Amino acid sequence: MRGGSKVVVEPHRHDGVFIAKGKEDALCTKNMVPGEAVYNEKRVSVQNEDGTKVEYRVWNPFRSKLAAAILGGVDNIWIKPGARVLYLGAASGTTVSHVSDLVGPEGVVYAVEFSHRSGRDLVNMAKKRTNVIPIIEDARHPAKYRMLVGMVDVIFSDVAQPDQARILALNASYFLKAGGHFVISIKANCIDSTVPAEAVFSQEVKKLQAEQFKPAEQVTLEPFERDHACVVGGYRMPKKHKGGA
Amino acid sequence: MTLFVLYESASGYGLFSADGIDEIGQNTEAVRSSVDDLNRFGKVVKLAAFSPFESALDALNQCNAVSEGQMTDELRNFLELTLPKVKEGKKPKFSLGVAEPKLGSHIFEETKIPCQSNEFILELIRGVRLHFDRFIENLKPGDLEKAQLGLGHSYSRAKVKFNVNRVDNMVI
Repeated sequence: MRGGSKVVVEPHRHDGVFIAKGKEDALCTKNMVPGEAVYNEKRVSVQNEDGTKVEYRVWNPFRSKLAAAILGGVDNIWIKPGARVLYLGAASGTTVSHVSDLVGPEGVVYAVEFSHRSGRDLVNMAKKRTNVIPIIEDARHPAKYRMLVGMVDVIFSDVAQPDQARILALNASYFLKAGGHFVISIKANCIDSTVPAEAVFSQEVKKLQAEQFKPAEQVTLEPFERDHACVVGGYRMPKKHKGGA
Repeated sequence: MTLFVLYESASGYGLFSADGIDEIGQNTEAVRSSVDDLNRFGKVVKLAAFSPFESALDALNQCNAVSEGQMTDELRNFLELTLPKVKEGKKPKFSLGVAEPKLGSHIFEETKIPCQSNEFILELIRGVRLHFDRFIENLKPGDLEKAQLGLGHSYSRAKVKFNVNRVDNMVI
């Protein structure tokens, strides 16, 4: 990023996410593997007062739906340092690398991707980041990778399939702990291109509610993606006690 | 009637016994609430046996077989050694809960061990997955993740048929 030493990095409201304030503001995450870019993204190095250097990687919201959701003002992404995340639809692992930065060395990211071609890049990326466990398998059949995944705190789903609500529910029933959370990106065109996007979103939210999910918020990914929404919520939430908060 | 549950982890096969759950009735809602609490869950579900994989290669073979719903010789030995014997002509006094019906039917065909897999078993397996590292004494926190990491890499590398160095060989 231009600006040299003028760039200041401040923590974002979401734990583990940072904002680089230079000529323009940019979202970024703390690089787990300093000195290396994953997909030729820009890096920002900041010198602390005691002389140590910290490197951040700029997170492009046009390339990552999670970054777009954060800029869209989502209240809570639930993915935070130390979290265990199941990531469905990992593709080449560009967003996964940022999630890996976000959860840090204490967290784990189980990255599931079906395509062999992009899976290759995912496996190579995971070699350098030991908190990413690559799984080249169909997210429709969680039983096939049940040996590789433990209980997780958050499921992030970006599979863009007509039956993505069912895929999310199936994976949650295997791996998402009760009281855990989900983040799903919905591309209206992938589900039903004949009705307006808003109708598709509310239809998907209803499907989620039928599967023990409790959607809490929905943000649009405009202007970064067209007709996309991101829905966040809980799974098998404990019943609230009467008179409680 | 005793219920056993087979749990395939990245570091080995585990067999759990679930006592007295049948009497409560196979009400999945009731199971759900008791599953999250280890104190309550640990009282009904106990580790019966655990057999770690011998090597990374062994683990990969088992993982491939499990994902295809096949029973390996190692799994067969493990089950036959740890489960009560099935006598000819007599109805067995136990059943084995497995995560996938396909694996269950394969086990039943080969060994005559009665298997079941349903929502109730899946709930139990969720609980085992949640508390697994506390059931196995020799397993330190982080060990299971290391096993998953190693196995995930070898499993995925085998799946990716493209050249991992991004040098595709053209097919002419």
